[in-house]
Amino acid sequence: MSRTITTVKPGLQTCVQELPGREGFLEQGFPLSGPFDAWSFRQANILVGNDRDTAALECQFMGPTLTFDADMLIAVTGADMSPALDGAPIPMYATVAVSAGQTLTMGFAKTGARAYLAVSGGIATEPVLGSRAVFHQAGVGGHALIAGQTLPVGVSETSALYVLPESARPVIGTDRVWEVEALCGPNDDWLDEATIEMFFSTDWQIQTKSSRTGIRLTGPDFGFSDKALNKSPDHGQDPSNIIDHGYPMGAVNLAGQTPIILVNDAPSTGGFINPFTIASAAFWKLAQAKPNETLRFRRVDRDGAAALRAEIDAKTKPEILENA
Amino acid sequence: MLHEALRFYPGGDRAIEVELGDGMDFTINFIVHRLVAAVREARIAGLVDLIPELASFQVNYDPDRISYEDLCHEIEALYAEMGRGVTGTLASRLITIPVLYFDEKTEACVEDYRKDYPEKTPDPELICELNGLPDRAALRRRHASTEYWVAALGFWPGLCSLLALNPTARIIAPKYNPPRTHTPKGAVGLGGALTCIYPDATPGGYQLIGHTPAPTYDGAQRLPDFRDSLALFRAGDRVRFKPVERDEYSEIEARVAEGTFRHDIVDYQVFSVDRYLDWAKAQEEASK
Repeated sequence: MSRTITTVKPGLQTCVQELPGREGFLEQGFPLSGPFDAWSFRQANILVGNDRDTAALECQFMGPTLTFDADMLIAVTGADMSPALDGAPIPMYATVAVSAGQTLTMGFAKTGARAYLAVSGGIATEPVLGSRAVFHQAGVGGHALIAGQTLPVGVSETSALYVLPESARPVIGTDRVWEVEALCGPNDDWLDEATIEMFFSTDWQIQTKSSRTGIRLTGPDFGFSDKALNKSPDHGQDPSNIIDHGYPMGAVNLAGQTPIILVNDAPSTGGFINPFTIASAAFWKLAQAKPNETLRFRRVDRDGAAALRAEIDAKTKPEILENA
Repeated sequence: MLHEALRFYPGGDRAIEVELGDGMDFTINFIVHRLVAAVREARIAGLVDLIPELASFQVNYDPDRISYEDLCHEIEALYAEMGRGVTGTLASRLITIPVLYFDEKTEACVEDYRKDYPEKTPDPELICELNGLPDRAALRRRHASTEYWVAALGFWPGLCSLLALNPTARIIAPKYNPPRTHTPKGAVGLGGALTCIYPDATPGGYQLIGHTPAPTYDGAQRLPDFRDSLALFRAGDRVRFKPVERDEYSEIEARVAEGTFRHDIVDYQVFSVDRYLDWAKAQEEASK
């Protein structure tokens, strides 16, 4: 029997993702890609006995319906899309053993925006430029799933069933407000001081035109410093224009007056300033925040960002699992 | 102009922007690429990715393996060791790109934008106006009169930033504000002091002046020139635009469709930076 998964319904945009993403090709214009919420992604993997960076499925806003063509272990984490096996609800953050022929259904996200489905052995699609991560828009590493598509699954000997303790799971709140840790830079010196204060004290609304490319925000206008207003013409006319430069992942990119947070599938370079950058350990919040929800930015420094990273890192290691 | 010293700007907890100078010119960009090569060769533990750009480069790093401060010091030391000399030779491919200037695809794209923004001057006319060119024919002549330097790749897989190597052929253009939501694949655009070729249908902000039927990106690696790489250009390549008429354009289109198209790539030349800089200076003086 083939060790595969068959797509019955694809969901809204379900893609194979893998960590660390497509490293080494940013300089040719390929984005890193990879899972948007790496915390939930890694937890799904450790629950099925995989290395935590193994290829798994990222389900966005509405999950897929999939049939398993062989016995395997699965785990669902992240957004709650009401996963059910042959019609019976299954727990999230727990290993579930499925038998050949069983069907997993997932619906609309009740909380959060992105769910992760890991299978024991991992998704075994062909790597492209060193990674299985999918950049859907350009079709690098494949596209989002389509109905009828089968996915190869790697081999696995594991049969242990685990649960992830509640205290180690990411908390997806229901108040629609997210506090997101951010650092100043690289281009905070292009803004006036009042604007830097404004950025950290504003309730920013997430626009509906938000995706794995960028999270667009609505809020007050930005004011600029002398550096932005009196610059060489090579930078461009708009105060937010700069000579093309690299775009860090998580950068708050300012195009005119619209801040766009650049995430996993964002452009690698461009000609707009990045006054702030989200702490890497807070990216998962951007993945789980939905359009029309509110972001509040809390200023941290590199030490603060390191503490947050360490906290999440500890929660994505197999040692924290409990036997089911 | 080159800065006195490197300027480091942190981009969150995993990236650093290293700025070498202020301006879009060959000399700064050449030093960017030399320093990036030196950083790459140094194999610094914890360094994950490098993105060379016009006057700066981005370093992505693993902050649990190397600190921001240590990485900045390592790069500074490499820069000090390397010196600022712009000299030497490098292998540089010359790639000729056929262009149908003022073609119907990009014209339609411009007109489409002008439905929403009727005050926008059509792209070729705007560029002629800003660069003192009498008409479209003069714009085409100027644009096709120089070799271009592949200064950087980015924004989208295979998208190139090209700098005119002949300083007297430099054309400047403002970017769209707001940007376009759609650009035809193969469109040739101008923005700031740069030319780009859209490798795929994407949003965009450069002024459009023509279209090439020759692919610069082939995700499926269908064409023979893309067997080793999905993107045609590498930093340090040179590009020349060859104006073609409709018949040649259609012939190339047909060969691309049947999968037999080969790019015109000259791969035996060495680029002398010293001789280039002398030549560029002479060009500039002669034009005064």
